[in-house]
Order: sequence, then C-alpha cells, then structure tokens
Amino acid sequence: MKNILYKVVLLFISIIWIIPILWMIDTAFKPTPQIFTIPPKWIASSYTLEHFYNLIKNWPIDRWFINSFIIASLSTIISIFLSVPAAYSFARLNWVGRDIIFIIFLITMLAPWQVNIIPLYFIMNSLKLLNTHISVVLPTVAMSISVFLLRQFYVNIPKEIEESAKIDGCSNLQILLKIIVPISLPAIAALAIYIFIFAWNEYTWSLVALQKTKMFTIPIGLKAIQGAYDIDYGLLMMAAFLATLPVIIIFLLLRKKIMEGMSWSGAIR
Amino acid sequence: MNTKLRKNLEGSLYILPFGIFWLIFSAFPTLYGFFISLFEWNPLKGSKFVGLNNYIYFFTHDRFWNSLYRTLEFAVIFIFLTIFIALFFALILYFYSKDKLRAFSESVLFFPYLLNVSVIALIWKWLFDPDFGLLTYFMSIFLGKAPRLLNSTLWAIPVIAIASAWWLSGYRTTIFLTALESVPKDLVEAARIDGANTWEIIWKVLLPLIKPQFLFSLVLTTISGFTALGQVMIMTDGGPGYASEVLALYLYRLGFQYFDMGKAAAAGSILVIIMLILTLSGIKVIGLGGEIE
Repeated sequence: MKNILYKVVLLFISIIWIIPILWMIDTAFKPTPQIFTIPPKWIASSYTLEHFYNLIKNWPIDRWFINSFIIASLSTIISIFLSVPAAYSFARLNWVGRDIIFIIFLITMLAPWQVNIIPLYFIMNSLKLLNTHISVVLPTVAMSISVFLLRQFYVNIPKEIEESAKIDGCSNLQILLKIIVPISLPAIAALAIYIFIFAWNEYTWSLVALQKTKMFTIPIGLKAIQGAYDIDYGLLMMAAFLATLPVIIIFLLLRKKIMEGMSWSGAIR
Repeated sequence: MNTKLRKNLEGSLYILPFGIFWLIFSAFPTLYGFFISLFEWNPLKGSKFVGLNNYIYFFTHDRFWNSLYRTLEFAVIFIFLTIFIALFFALILYFYSKDKLRAFSESVLFFPYLLNVSVIALIWKWLFDPDFGLLTYFMSIFLGKAPRLLNSTLWAIPVIAIASAWWLSGYRTTIFLTALESVPKDLVEAARIDGANTWEIIWKVLLPLIKPQFLFSLVLTTISGFTALGQVMIMTDGGPGYASEVLALYLYRLGFQYFDMGKAAAAGSILVIIMLILTLSGIKVIGLGGEIE
C-alpha cells in the first residue's frame, strides 16, 4: 500500500517535471495559428516543419553548434591537462607554500569569474582575442574548481599504492603517469563532463566576448533569435528544441555515465 | 638541503601550468577590475582617476540599491527552492526501492540541468506568457482571470527563480542522493530497531551525515544565485521597469550599453566582495573549513 503511494507520488512528480520540455517540443512543430489558442491544446490538428525551415534559412545554427562544440571540447581537454598535475601536487607533494596557495585558489573558486567581464574584456581586447573561441576557453580553464575537485579525489587514494613504486625508484612524474592517472580515470572523466557542461552553458562572458553572429555559441545565438522575434514562440521553441536535441541523444546514450560523473563531483569528503 | 630545494621546485613546477592561466585569467582580472573601478572611463578624452567616486555614486543611487535588493530577493528564493526541492526529491528516491520507475524519475529530474540557460529561459517565458502561456491558463482556471506574472513587479523575480530552480535542482538531487546512499545502511537499520520513525531518521541520522555535500551544494547554489544573468535577460530583461534588474544585469548594462566601464567594474568588485563575505562567513559559521582541509 505504502509502496503504491510512493509510486504515484514519484510518477506524478516526474510527469510535472518533464512537462515544460514536452510543451517545448509540442510547440516547435505546431503551425503558428494553433500555438496561440485559449485553452492551449496539446494535440494539434496538424504538425509542420515551417519553423525549422524558417530558422535554418535565417540563422547559422549549425555554425553555432560547431562553435559551442569547439569551445566546450577545447576547455575540457586543456582543463584536464592543467589540473591533473596541479591537483597531484596539492594532494601528494610537500613543498613550501603549498597550503597557502591552495587556500588562495579556494577563495577565488568562491568568487565566480563572470563578475570579471569588464577587466576580462580589456585583457582580451589588448591580446586581440575578442571574437575568438579561445577567449571563452581561457577563463574557463583557469577555474580553480577543477583543481579542487580532482585534489579531493587524490587525497583519498591510499598512499600505500605508491609506496612500492617509490621503493622501486620511480620518480614522482612516473608515479603520476603510471599509477595515479590510471586509477583516477573515473574522476578525470567526471571532471571532463563537469567542464564540458559548464562551457556548453556559459552565457555571461560569451555574450561579451563573442559579438559576431558567426562566432556565437548556442546560448548567445538563442538570445539573438529571441531579440529578433520576441514572441514568435513556434520559432523560438524550435530553436530551443534544436539546441536540446544533441543533449537528449547524448543523454539517452550515456545516461548512467553522466549521472555517475555528476554525482561524483559533489562527493567531497 | 639540496634535496629540499629540489622538492620545493618540483612541487611548484607541477602547479605552474595551471598557475599561469589562473594568474592571468582569474586572479589578475579581479585585481585589475578593482583598478578600473577607480577611473572614470572615457575612450575619447582619456580616463580620469576618480578614487572611490564610482562607489560613492552607487551608494547615493536608487537604481543600484534596487539591483542589490533584487539580487538578494532572487538569490534567497532561488537558493531556498533549489535546495528544498533537491532534498525532497533525494529523500523520496532514497526511500523508494530501486526499480525501473526510480531510474526513470532520477533521469527526468536530472535532465533539465543539461539544458542551457537560454533554453530554459525561453521555455519558461513561454509557459508564463501573459496571454497564451500554459501555466497562465492553468492558473486562470483557479483564479478566474489570467495572472500576468512576468509583467508584475511583485512576481517577476519569483517566477525567474522558479524557472532557475527547475533547471538546477536536479543536479543537486543527484549529489544528495549519492551522499544519502553512501550513508552506511546499518546505521539506518539500527535507528529503526531503536524505534525511530522515518522523520527522525531523516533529521537525526541522514541529514547530519550528508552535511559536507549539503554545504558544497549550498555554496555552488549561492554562487549561481548571485550571478544569474541569462535567464533574467531573456525572461524579463530586467522589467517591468527595473523590477527584476539584478546586479549582474545592471553591471552588464553599465559596461556594454552605457559604456561606463569604471562604474561597471565597481559593480563587479562589489559583487566579488559580497560573494567572498557570504561564502567565507558561511563556511566559517557552518564549518566547511574542516571538510575541505
């Protein structure tokens, strides 16, 4: 009896939670006159691709996808190469000033870099990097949260694992590459997912740094479309749907991995 | 002695690659922002050093105080909703047996997190559309007339907070659920044998044991609450009037609509200081410090 009650509650919540997404998809394929009705209708008498054609005719959505993908992938790869050795050093190597530097990193982790858009704008401008992919990648890979998350994992690896390698005369670099990196692959994958999603979603700084339509990422492009059409919801929902489609496909394929990864990044001790 | 030097050198060499990026694109901009905030910025005539005048300007300016108030209002509603919904979902899932329905619910609750901010803002703007929105229609059935929430000075911020909570609480749910599941089962069993009911188990056993993850989520949620920009821009663009103009939006407008970089940078520095005070004092009060070290 109690179990059935649970089932009903859970099902109810899940349906409520997914309604906005279903409504977006429904609207995207309805002909405009059937979108603006009172009461709203879930099942339209006909469905259409007019919004899709309208959209790809006027906006380089495919280009925005490529931009978003390049920025997110570059951020992920560079971030991992930078944070693995740094996290290892903070977790395992003893050197003067280590703890104080770690605490400074932690403090900057708490002040999100999006509040720095004005100074970053000047810096990128003088480096001639505005309107390039790299201008969004650079501040993303400088986030200390990536070092922090990996370090939390490394600290919890038992030291004994490295002892025998040390006795065999392995250097720290060898230990990092041959022992630490292989056992921390799940953590590295989790960090990769975290950074990828972060970069894929980044809005504030991209809005400032990427001003040419050709250079827009998906979030900035959607903002531009909204600015141009305002309440043409068929078109806007089609744009939102297209922006979401790859995410839906990737999620259906890798659901377990993504959710494990995301939950791990919160599993600090 | 020589080995000690080598050790120090090696240790700092490992953080050097990250450290360089961090210095140039994280630490330096924060300081540079404070420096810019001391100038009246003018690209044609040249910038003039004005000391703390930009800050003094804010303290005597209603629009700044309004944006500060709206930021706080948004952050409080958003943080409360997000954490509360996430805990609620996590506990429901935790006490429910592992079956297909649970896996389905977990995925559904998590999924919105993967959408980007523009997508969720567009969806919720449409749901709350004053004339044809799905939710507006449902509410009009109960209220008799259609509430135009996004056009209301009272409701604009709460509605944006609801949309943001829908977007982000799934990720927190996953974090909380993982944490709950790492609590040893025999602790829960022992409490049950001692006669504790579910409510007592939640308050006295489960919640105290997931405190680190709870605080970590709280810090992340606080940061997103105070820096939210995309959803505000798309859903209301700060309106009606200035009723949803949060500090991040005011900052953006100062910089890239009025081209008053000095004042914009000052707003940024104020936001940095608020974040630091909040998160550091939060950490001190509830004691995350111990968990991090």
